[in-house]
Amino acid sequence: MTSRIVAWAVLLFLPLPIVIVVLSSFTSAGYLSFPIEGVSLRWYAEFLGSADWLKVLGTSALLALIGALVSTGASFAAAWAVVRHGVPLGGSYETLLLTPLIFPHAAIGVIMIVTLAGLGWLGTFTGLVLVHCILTIPYAYRPVAAALRKADPALEEAAASLGARPWRIFWLVSLPAVRPGLVTSLLFSFIISFDEVTVTMFLVGPFVMTLPVQVFSEVLESASPIIAAVSAALVLFTSLMVFVLDRVIGIQFFVERD
Amino acid sequence: MPRSARTALMLAPSALLMAVFVVGLVRLIWSSVVLDGQFDLAHYTAIFSRSDYVAMLGRTLRTAALTTLFALLIGYPTAYYVARYRGNRNVLLLLIIFPWLVSIVVRSYGWVVILGPRGLINSFLTWSGLTDRPAPLMYNDFSVVLGLVHVLCPFMIIAIVSVLMQIPRNLEEASMSLGGRPVHTFATVLLPLSLPGILTGTTLVYLMATGAIVTPLLLGGLGDTMLGTEIFQEVMHFFDYPKAAALATVLLVTALAIVLPIQLLERRVTRRLNGEGAP
Repeated sequence: MTSRIVAWAVLLFLPLPIVIVVLSSFTSAGYLSFPIEGVSLRWYAEFLGSADWLKVLGTSALLALIGALVSTGASFAAAWAVVRHGVPLGGSYETLLLTPLIFPHAAIGVIMIVTLAGLGWLGTFTGLVLVHCILTIPYAYRPVAAALRKADPALEEAAASLGARPWRIFWLVSLPAVRPGLVTSLLFSFIISFDEVTVTMFLVGPFVMTLPVQVFSEVLESASPIIAAVSAALVLFTSLMVFVLDRVIGIQFFVERD
Repeated sequence: MPRSARTALMLAPSALLMAVFVVGLVRLIWSSVVLDGQFDLAHYTAIFSRSDYVAMLGRTLRTAALTTLFALLIGYPTAYYVARYRGNRNVLLLLIIFPWLVSIVVRSYGWVVILGPRGLINSFLTWSGLTDRPAPLMYNDFSVVLGLVHVLCPFMIIAIVSVLMQIPRNLEEASMSLGGRPVHTFATVLLPLSLPGILTGTTLVYLMATGAIVTPLLLGGLGDTMLGTEIFQEVMHFFDYPKAAALATVLLVTALAIVLPIQLLERRVTRRLNGEGAP
């Protein structure tokens, strides 16, 4: 009984601040307040009419897209080698791929600033892509490795014994078998990259900026409700991704153990 | 192409990314122990000889410990309820996963809207006449821990749910039908079996809390810096990279000092649960 009361309190507590932000974005006042003082869409108009905000949105989307593609590709290749080829110390390699997840983000921020400065990529889009690939690898690797472990290699052997060429087998047999895992890796790493702020804010500069980092610096400096409108857009975007994830693999995926 | 060459080629992209990370880590530690080309612990003595830094370290560890404790206290019952829910569990999971995937900036900002001077709680307090002036709910230890618990709690819940879902319900039923009281059943059946999930969740929440920057900066007081926010200030405002590197190394060491024992314990518990090396 107690667990039921605590559980429902927590289940309502978790989405609460997000709901409040979305509601407060519809204010007509020039300052942030809750409950809102009048209903209007003026802050959405301001957001969508601002070339600066839209540019930052574009940067974030492109960054997340490239990052998701690269880290999913790298994860797929690595998982194939580990699962199918039986690499020596494969288990340790998998643990290594998960380490960015368990490093405190403030430390990763400094590590990456030192690294990118050495490469001359500080404050560049290329630098952000590199860092986001590293940060999303743990999220991209798990789904695709799990899918590969579930797929039956006997199907590929059957195709081979029937005379199919390796590339044809890969394209027609192997890939379809792991497609849900691949799509999950892509979506998962896309969301993580799109929302990442703690490490990214060390690395942005005058020429490159991401949406969550821009939101963060605006919150520190002003109380304009436009932040609520941009946040609401971020929330809408995340809900779309979660919806697709649920369709592709089912929300249960997040609590399944390998 | 021989099989081994193909394997190497497949591992190359991820290995390259990890190499960048590992080399960066080594360079970070290196730059924190070198001064004018010579081995020197000056950055560390400078940190530990300043009382405000020592206080900041203490505040970081205390905040992380409190966050982890509260996340566990509210996370465990929630995870239990979700794992044993007989209806449509996906709806409950959605209420956990969706907030978890929303950017921490948005979630922390939500607390600004709730706790701020014109926020939800103060609007209510003023409207109801309980106060005539906004109560200072933000920029203190309370708001930082509240925000961190909210942001990190899903990690705890997800880790525990995934373990609890693998424990057959009838184990508890068997214990109860043999006359075990709920508390006894929890302590002797559920708790030991779910220990791996608790340890994983505790590790993740503690690590993320020690290295948090966004939530403490948005919800914490100006003077109440934590290790993460201090590192950020050193880099962004003072451009003192060696000091930031030393602070980041201190962060890594304090994190590892807590996490490594927990990981070893988790291995042992998991081995024992799997029946290997049992007495």
